Amino acid sequence: MLEIRDLHASVAGQPILKGLNLTVKPGEVHAIMGPNGSGKSTLANVLAGRDNYEITGGEALFEGKSLAELEPEERAQLGLFLAFQYPVEIPGVSNMEFLKAALEATRAAQGKEEWDSVTLLRKAREACKQVDLDPQFLKRGVNEGFSGGEKKRNEIMQMLLMEPKLALLDETDSGLDIDALQTVAKGVNSLRGPERGIVLVTHYQRLLDYIVPDHVHVLSGGRIIKSGGKELALELEQHGYGWLTDDQNGGNDKEDRTA
Amino acid sequence: MSGDNALNLPEDLKTRALENARQATPVEALAPLRQEALAALEGAAFPGRKTEAWKYTSLYALTDGHLAARAEGAAPEDLPRLSDYRLVLVNGRLDERHTTLPEGVSLGRRASRLEGLTTPFALYNGAALEDAVTLDVAANTDVSAPIQVLHVSAGDAPSHCNTRLEVNLAAGSRLTLIEQYLGAGPVLTNAVTAIQAADNARLTHYRLQADAGDSLHIGTLLFQQTGVSRIDSYQLMAGNRLRRNDVRAFLDKSGAELNMHGIFVARDRSHIDNQLCVEHRVPECTSNQVYRGLAGEKGRAVLNGRIHIHPGAKGTLAELSNKNLLLNPGAEIDTKPELEIYNDDVKCAHGATVGQLDALQQFYLQSRGIPLAEAKRMLSLGFVNELIMSLPDQTVADWAQPWLAAELGQRPGADEEAA
Repeated sequence: MLEIRDLHASVAGQPILKGLNLTVKPGEVHAIMGPNGSGKSTLANVLAGRDNYEITGGEALFEGKSLAELEPEERAQLGLFLAFQYPVEIPGVSNMEFLKAALEATRAAQGKEEWDSVTLLRKAREACKQVDLDPQFLKRGVNEGFSGGEKKRNEIMQMLLMEPKLALLDETDSGLDIDALQTVAKGVNSLRGPERGIVLVTHYQRLLDYIVPDHVHVLSGGRIIKSGGKELALELEQHGYGWLTDDQNGGNDKEDRTA
Repeated sequence: MSGDNALNLPEDLKTRALENARQATPVEALAPLRQEALAALEGAAFPGRKTEAWKYTSLYALTDGHLAARAEGAAPEDLPRLSDYRLVLVNGRLDERHTTLPEGVSLGRRASRLEGLTTPFALYNGAALEDAVTLDVAANTDVSAPIQVLHVSAGDAPSHCNTRLEVNLAAGSRLTLIEQYLGAGPVLTNAVTAIQAADNARLTHYRLQADAGDSLHIGTLLFQQTGVSRIDSYQLMAGNRLRRNDVRAFLDKSGAELNMHGIFVARDRSHIDNQLCVEHRVPECTSNQVYRGLAGEKGRAVLNGRIHIHPGAKGTLAELSNKNLLLNPGAEIDTKPELEIYNDDVKCAHGATVGQLDALQQFYLQSRGIPLAEAKRMLSLGFVNELIMSLPDQTVADWAQPWLAAELGQRPGADEEAA
């Protein structure tokens, strides 16, 4: 469902991704790990279509369509969902109003039946319960005055309602205590299924104790320098990123296309 | 119109105004006011290009000859009803068929206020009046349902009307007043509303200005708090071909409190100019002003917020906040808080900002599948939503929500401009 080939991307003119390859098939859970500044969040933002994150080479196909040619809302309507590392506060727009607009637009685009307001409210309350978020939050401004953990749970709550085909979680574990981490993981796991792809972007291995990935990739210097199974995450936890990135730096001058 | 005409416009307007005033055929009760206003008008000057208070608003539109004719159109059949109690003025004349007033409120076809109404247009309004309405709220009367006063302007050709409302709240009275301006066609509404509040009076005031884009409006709203009173005023205003609102408040008795909240929206090519002036003339009064402005396309909005604290007005609390949002680069908003303080023992705060929609907020909404135009509309609405949520009367809130949604809606061609 996601096919990334030799992707190059810049943020505000600065090259960050330098030839990234990744394939995600339905039903798979991929973890993308890497040191700070390796391009993990850039990848998530490029795929979601954030302004100033520009694809400069290669391609990223989602459901056979080139993401570069789609507006952010069109990507979401196709079934792509980004859980933000830093969810945005929008005072004056209530969470409920926001969910209504989002679900109306995406469900219509996907040919799913429209939810009336009673159904929507019921589903939203259920989703809140699933991530341990007080339903009172539905009335408040989007993420307005939410704690870090509440914002992350709000992202997962939206994801549960939107039922995306491909979920990208950008450092969803950062800033969460262990209880919140388990709640979030439970929410993500409940979405695992044969039709759905999940990409977890994370710096730490601990999230992967709760959401066990099928594939683990190490991103460094804008490229995936090593891929493996879930055991790769454990190896990284023990040895850090140093043993991989040293190799990478050594070969940096050559046109190394390790994938 | 040639440039020469525009150059002579202030004089032309004055000549025309004086001529009209002398020819007016008013009801008798208006004669004293007319004479006094006429005398003051003779000494007044209409604003020109260099008049500071009219820096951002040109009267060039009036070269179409609005002052040369009185508006004579008929009001539409279907007039909005926001309360059981209603008054309707059509081109400044009371339409008695529609009058229903609650007990404790009496109606007079007169006007008398002159103090504080110093602009040439307000003077002209007084000098040329042919009809006027004064509402007196009896002492210790609590009027439970709001009174809606509809000012309707109608006409097919460039013309004008003078419309005037005076309200006196006697001691201990309570009133909710909904002033609504409706108009279509090239008519200039020259409006004056003067409200006086005695001790322990309490007024909730709404000013709804949703006239059609081709109409024009120049008006003064005057609050005189001669008693320890409280006024809460909510002003919802759309720009039109020319809209100029002068709001002037006199806090004249210690303990008086004035709260003004406003939303103004200038879309397309519309114009709105708000000139606010709050006069703290005695100690220990409180004023609080919160205005939010939006402008899009080639819209132009202006706010000048003056707070004048007179010598001896110790213990004054005065605040003014004006935040503005530019929906696209072609629009313009000019805002200026202006403090004039003549003693030390006061607490004053003011702030004014002009910003644009937040790109990250837009992206967040888009990333959930919400189209850009809808995302912009939601964010614009969010910007003013706090004020809408705080409207104390549900009927007004029910009117305001769809009005604002339409005002903030997408304009044809907006996408091309954004691209």
